[in-house]
Amino acid sequence: MTIGEAGGALRRRRYSAVELTTSALARIERSNPTLKAFLTVTGDEAMAQARQADAELAAGKDRGPLHGIPVAVKDLFYTRGVATTGGSPIYRNFIPQEDACAVARLKSAGAVMLGKLNMHELAYGITSANPHFGAVTNPWNAKHSPGGSSGGSGAAVAAGLVYAALGTDTGGSIRIPASFCGTVGFKPTYGRVSRRGVMPLSWSLDHVGPLAGSVRDAALVLQAIAGRDAGDDSSARHPTVDYVPEDEPVKGLRVGFPENFFFERLDAEVELAVRGAIARLESLGAEVRPVKLPDMAALNAVGRVILLCEASAVMAPHLKNRDQFGSDVLALLDQGRLVPATDYIQAQRLRKRMVREFAQVWSSVDCLIAPTTPNTAPRIGETTVKLGGHEEDVRLATTRLVRSMNLLGLPALSMPCGLNGAGLPIGLQIIGPAFEERLILRVGAALEAGGVGIPRTPLS
Amino acid sequence: MKDWPSIAKAAAPDIPAKEVSRYSQTLDSLEEIFRPLADSLTPEMEPACVFGAGQEQA
Repeated sequence: MTIGEAGGALRRRRYSAVELTTSALARIERSNPTLKAFLTVTGDEAMAQARQADAELAAGKDRGPLHGIPVAVKDLFYTRGVATTGGSPIYRNFIPQEDACAVARLKSAGAVMLGKLNMHELAYGITSANPHFGAVTNPWNAKHSPGGSSGGSGAAVAAGLVYAALGTDTGGSIRIPASFCGTVGFKPTYGRVSRRGVMPLSWSLDHVGPLAGSVRDAALVLQAIAGRDAGDDSSARHPTVDYVPEDEPVKGLRVGFPENFFFERLDAEVELAVRGAIARLESLGAEVRPVKLPDMAALNAVGRVILLCEASAVMAPHLKNRDQFGSDVLALLDQGRLVPATDYIQAQRLRKRMVREFAQVWSSVDCLIAPTTPNTAPRIGETTVKLGGHEEDVRLATTRLVRSMNLLGLPALSMPCGLNGAGLPIGLQIIGPAFEERLILRVGAALEAGGVGIPRTPLS
Repeated sequence: MKDWPSIAKAAAPDIPAKEVSRYSQTLDSLEEIFRPLADSLTPEMEPACVFGAGQEQA
């Protein structure tokens, strides 16, 4: 069921929020020993919230589309009175006194919070094989990674444990698990959703966004959490709009097909599926145009320099105790300490220039469509992947097509567009100009309505 | 290429030497792309210290 369907059933009194929540908690109990998607299940609080949601609906108080809908959040969002670990033993006993802004907004929209989701340690990686809390598994095949760092969010949504989840994306961490788990994942424009109360990895690259079962569901969650927050210095003053797509045609829309970078060194099945979706979009009336993009490898390099420096600065107070970190995270934190401050400043100068250069792309197209990841979910523990005849580091390959949008701060949506021969999901990415979330969601919804997508996992 | 072991010795002496040599190739690859970009900057280009997406769009 989508959020829209569940909400309709609630309002027709076919189900109650208590029944939806009870059923979700039973699914979690059944699946979580294998999936390891949840770190904390807040069953009692969830049932209390569900009872309140039912009582409010019975009294004629309707908080909107998320009223009574079971959701969960990545374990780096502050949740009042509930442990928030960031996937790290450093914060094992940290219990925030306040909710993160996005969590507070979800609650205020009537969503029922089921708990906290597992993740890559400190959100610094793409596997979600957390050495301290267990490896999240992919609902499509438990031997494969769900991606990360919001791996628990992707797995929980794909397995139907929750209707939607919140994640964060610093170098692809919403879109990668969305791609690998076959869900929709949306990284909005930098500043569109408040970062207040979210454990930082890299202040200038961190984004908050939803993972959900459909484009419309992702839009419903975005609607609830988007908007100015004076408590976050980077929160945008740009006004919010109605993000929820309503069967709007894409006829005449100029969709850019990147001539360079995005279709290089791809898994053949990924390329085929994404090209198929582009053809479908064209058949729906969109005008697909080839477009030459700036040097995307350069954008990735600049993004990596900023991430290395900011993440090492964030974690500096804890680096004296090296055994608190998993080896992959420690390796990145060490590398960040070897990059001089001058290079961090140069990277932030290059970023400004690159944002200006990339903005020129929007003079010829309204949005871009490309693969999210060049590969499908690797096996858990795999460190390299072979693409286009080249052996690549799995982390660098997986982040290759997503990282640049964090540097540019642009909105990017990942949605499923097929399954490979092994039955693993393939994701495509729709990228647009800053604050054009509505346009991106419109294109995604048109693709979905046009038959681009995948069936639900056997688990759900 | 940079002398990463010397940089580590000066900036982060607690990182074990064998770890530094493990990272060197990754850092060299990054340096190879990043250095020419950094060298191409002109003085008037200021950093995006306070970053706001959209502000730079034409």
